[in-house]
Amino acid sequence: MLKIDDLHVAVGDAEILKGLTLEVPTGEVHALMGPNGSGKSTLSHAVAGRDDYEIASGSVTLDGEDLLALDPNERAAKGLFLSFQHPMEIPGVQTMNLIRTALNAQKKARGEEEVSAADFIRTIREKARLVGLDDAKLKRPFNVGFSGGEKKRMEMLQLAMFEPRFAIMDETDSGLDIDALKMVGEVVNALRGPDRGFLVITHYQRLLEYIKPDRVHVLAGGRIVKSGGARLAHELEKSGYEQFIEAA
Amino acid sequence: MSQSLLINPSAFEAGLEAIFAARSTTNEAQAAAFARFVKLRLPNRKVEGWKWSDISAATRKLAPENAPESAQIIAPTPFAALDPIECRIVNGRIELPAEPAAEGFRCGLSDPVATIPELETHPVAALNVALTGKALEMEIAEGVSFGRPILIRHINTGVGFSFAQTVLRVGAGVRAALIETYEGDGAGFYSHLFHTVARDGAVLERYVLHDTGPDSIVHAICAAKVDGAARFDQTSLSTGGRLARHETHVHYWDPKSAGRINSAALLCGERHNDFTTEVLHLGEDCATRQLHKGVAADRGRNVFQGKFHVKRGAQKTDAQMAANALLLSETAEANHKPELEIYADDVECAHGSAVGALDEDALFYLRQRGLDEHEARALLVDAFVGEVVDGVENEIVREVFHARVNAWLENV
Repeated sequence: MLKIDDLHVAVGDAEILKGLTLEVPTGEVHALMGPNGSGKSTLSHAVAGRDDYEIASGSVTLDGEDLLALDPNERAAKGLFLSFQHPMEIPGVQTMNLIRTALNAQKKARGEEEVSAADFIRTIREKARLVGLDDAKLKRPFNVGFSGGEKKRMEMLQLAMFEPRFAIMDETDSGLDIDALKMVGEVVNALRGPDRGFLVITHYQRLLEYIKPDRVHVLAGGRIVKSGGARLAHELEKSGYEQFIEAA
Repeated sequence: MSQSLLINPSAFEAGLEAIFAARSTTNEAQAAAFARFVKLRLPNRKVEGWKWSDISAATRKLAPENAPESAQIIAPTPFAALDPIECRIVNGRIELPAEPAAEGFRCGLSDPVATIPELETHPVAALNVALTGKALEMEIAEGVSFGRPILIRHINTGVGFSFAQTVLRVGAGVRAALIETYEGDGAGFYSHLFHTVARDGAVLERYVLHDTGPDSIVHAICAAKVDGAARFDQTSLSTGGRLARHETHVHYWDPKSAGRINSAALLCGERHNDFTTEVLHLGEDCATRQLHKGVAADRGRNVFQGKFHVKRGAQKTDAQMAANALLLSETAEANHKPELEIYADDVECAHGSAVGALDEDALFYLRQRGLDEHEARALLVDAFVGEVVDGVENEIVREVFHARVNAWLENV
């Protein structure tokens, strides 16, 4: 379970998260929705361990383990994955090389055996097909010259390769066409299971047609202001966020 | 000794003069060269072109004496897998290859050059001409198929100063590779002047690996005359020294010549490296590509000075220069000066330079993927200099350069 309790986070002088509390039990998919500037990306970066986000108070645990005490790479090795809203381009680093280095770094930290080159190549090719990336892309510098949609496919490829215990998907749907949205849904649904949790951050209900959430939360003004079932996303689509912005 | 010609010399300069005066084999050209040096003196930071590499200050406290005749055990070269023809220059003393040279390749000792006309006003070149004993002269005859690279190992130990000259003539149509390594833990001053001519249609690949101790002061000049449709491709990798300066002067006299001058510097501690280059385009339709990458950590200092001259008749010149530096600490420094001087009107020339720190977003991205801070930084730095190293065509040289980069990253 990912458990966030009374989390206060500041960026510079501005307090962005003001006592956020959220629980996502293992095996469930929760959606986090909210207007621009409500703190959705701050939450994802703070949970992943970005060090320019100052945690003033509160706690974040994954299956009871204190994440805030860990470095970002240690959190990754514990099974936390963040699908970035704006994935980075890393010139000069071949895509396959980066993913294999990262995968083996995680395995090493967990005391597991590293994946062999042959097994890795077989698996990544298989999963690249699943997310709609051709082999040539895997040999290119990481994300360099890729379209916005291809970069999101690369995030999904890593999700499929790392098979994390918990994934935060930060606006993965932004900039995606219908086919790519469907692909994201397929990847997440294939990985859904009793041992894995997801927090899907989005502005729109659209992605949730492909990924049916167990719960939906509304983030406004740095706090969760409403939680409900999948129907809440439909209601938001009709009524908008205005009522929550005013309340916050 | 007769009265000093130098006004207010440093102890080091006085030592140079004493050695010069004591020599019995000095010829007229060398006397003229020393007279030029007396006027020019060791340049300091007030001299344009030397403001970031003050060789006068760096040598001031050096022992004013000849470097010792060394008996140190010399480690095997990392380029052994290439089966090179190996020459050594140990504290300025030339050791010719032990084996008989290949057919079409001549290698021996000769008198040092009288001067290199384009470098007549160069103070360290003048000093080198005046004080070098014998030069290593090499020639590859026209049309010879020459598979083995030539390796020149410049090895410096102890203190004091030493001077060396090498000459390589590459015959028309020949494809040759020259590797030069600067090695040793010496804390003296070493000056090397290399003069090469690539005749019509020849291709000369030159690789430089500078990997000396932190107290070395090395000044190396490469003057390359590139004839019609010949190529000069050079890739240098340096970890710097107390002061390391590698100058490259490439002159295209004829049409359709081309060159690539790539370099990378990895500097930690208080190490300093200076890549200064000057490419003179005189013939039409010549092309130059230049890429420099410098990485400085701690109090390291990366200096790059690149100049493309395009003379009036050199129409259709195509010359591109990029110099980028990555600073890994707040006390590291990069000083870049890219320059174009163009007198022809139908040319394509460009230059650019950027200095920055590691991208924090990229670092966080890699750490979220599981790499620890050191691994993430190393991956990004490796990728940064990779553009230079990956451009090396010779696979073994590329591997040696990669290994040196990785070893540096382990320790920084």
